[in-house]
Amino acid sequence: MSSLDWLVLSSTLIFIVSYGVWRTRGSKDISGYLKGDNTMKWGTVGLSVMATQASAITFLSTPGQAYESGMDFVQNYFGLPLALIIVAAVFIPIFYRLKVYTAYEYLENRFDHRTRILGALLFLVQRGLAAGITIYAPAIVLSTMLGWNLTFTILVVGILVIIYTVSGGTRAVSLTQKYQMGVIMLGMVIAFILILQKMPEGVGLGSMVSLAGNMGKMEVVDFSLDFSKRYTFWSGITGGLFLALSYFGTDQSQVSRYIGASSITESRMGLMFNAIFKIPMQFFILLTGVMVFMFYQFEKPPVFFKQVAMEQGLSGPYAEEMRAANEAHDQNFILKKEALEQLLQARASEDPVAMAEARDLVDQRLAEHKAIRTEVKDLLVKTDDRIEVKDSDYVFLTFVLNYLPAGFIGLLLAVILSAAMSSTSSELNALASTSMVDFYKRWFYPDASPKHYLTVSKLLTAGWGVLAITFALLAYMAENLIEMVNIVGSLFYGTILGIFIVGFFIKYIRGIAVFWAALLAEALVITLHFLTVYEIFVLSYLWYNVIGCALVIVFGFIFQFLKTEKQLS
Amino acid sequence: MENKKENDEKPPFFSSWSRIYMVVLGFLGLLIILFYWLTLAVR
Repeated sequence: MSSLDWLVLSSTLIFIVSYGVWRTRGSKDISGYLKGDNTMKWGTVGLSVMATQASAITFLSTPGQAYESGMDFVQNYFGLPLALIIVAAVFIPIFYRLKVYTAYEYLENRFDHRTRILGALLFLVQRGLAAGITIYAPAIVLSTMLGWNLTFTILVVGILVIIYTVSGGTRAVSLTQKYQMGVIMLGMVIAFILILQKMPEGVGLGSMVSLAGNMGKMEVVDFSLDFSKRYTFWSGITGGLFLALSYFGTDQSQVSRYIGASSITESRMGLMFNAIFKIPMQFFILLTGVMVFMFYQFEKPPVFFKQVAMEQGLSGPYAEEMRAANEAHDQNFILKKEALEQLLQARASEDPVAMAEARDLVDQRLAEHKAIRTEVKDLLVKTDDRIEVKDSDYVFLTFVLNYLPAGFIGLLLAVILSAAMSSTSSELNALASTSMVDFYKRWFYPDASPKHYLTVSKLLTAGWGVLAITFALLAYMAENLIEMVNIVGSLFYGTILGIFIVGFFIKYIRGIAVFWAALLAEALVITLHFLTVYEIFVLSYLWYNVIGCALVIVFGFIFQFLKTEKQLS
Repeated sequence: MENKKENDEKPPFFSSWSRIYMVVLGFLGLLIILFYWLTLAVR
């Protein structure tokens, strides 16, 4: 990294943090600190909601995912606009009417204290774990690729977030997220333009998209009814709907973003902003990944993108096989490039026979390429079974570091760190709100002074921040920690959503019935997950959300019916 | 009463919330059609 990159990176981050601290100083009570005195406009709410969802790993993993398997991931977001409409139409008016600080306050109002504790506790466990991973995931990628010290990277990101989140509370989170989203979008647009500029002479965006389609990377929509496929139209529109409904309607890190708006209108408009722009944004990030894939059809990529692992393999007991695979990869690259040039010429001459021949050749070269990569991954595992063979998180950053000019590398790193900070700050703020309002104020000190609550809220924010940093520092010890946290999230979301759906729409079911229904549903979802883990059958994790939610409703009806019958008899 | 007033509050565009929701759904439908067309066009 050049000194210009360091200047761009450090000045961007320092400006956002300092501005956030300066503009939001002086909260006097928890209404100002946890809800921003309900002063936020829809533009701020919309960007804040978007920035909370877009973590650093979004910008590292998503282009890599498109590089590996194409555009189909965008279907995961098809249910999101529907979910946001339901949240805007049903959830928001209720949260505003009850003047809640957290979503879980509603549960006590509708059911009882047990259900509120259950909801709040599930959130604290799930989000408390996730906050550490939000910092750790980009830090491990950046430290591996740039040689930065992992502990130092985690501490810098964590401490910067703690400074402005503790100081300014929810307003600081929203205000900084506005600028962080600005940096993120600017950086991604510039990266996309630079990728296109680096394509071969005379080959524009249209030709590249078309070629990518020929190579199977532009399968955006898949209407097949295959439940084992992770991303289809159907899993996106149903599973994605339930996941988004649970995330935006019941996860405090999102709820706190829009209940701080100055009115229901501002809150709803912020969500509608996301309903319109989220899918195009994800499409754009995925398309950036596909363009990186196309770029690497004309410029030789590494056979495996995680260089540290590659070096380990080349100095291990299978070094000879690794070198042979590397040579095969080099040879395959030349042949694949020739086949692609042949395809481009056939397309230009509009000769269908030549086009079909060239496409067959490209398919053949791609299959060979895939086989070589699989062989390399197998050799790496044989060398050391602790090596993570998923290298898609390293694809985009490898391109950025090797091909972007000085200054832009710093900007793209600022994008990744801004995204890490924006989602972490929302998480810390939400964790502090829930522990303050649903536990401390509700159970321990219900009548303390505003100043006392403000001080404790700041201490809780700092405490959760320190816990997140500690968890991030310990994360390297657990092999599959990130995967575990993702699974924990999807295991609980359906049940939490089921509780809220019953609360909002099914007046018949009461507190005790929904509480036991939620516990039983959760036990069954976990059982289902283990059946999937042990391959008794295959089910995409998106369906857990639908099943968990449906089970809470069904069991809720049964338990309520049994309880009513018992009372009547 | 206050809540009723808040619920009836008009959005800054399209004069009613149901119209805004219809616009969002229409946009989603348009995106899906566009993406499907793209999938078929470049396959």
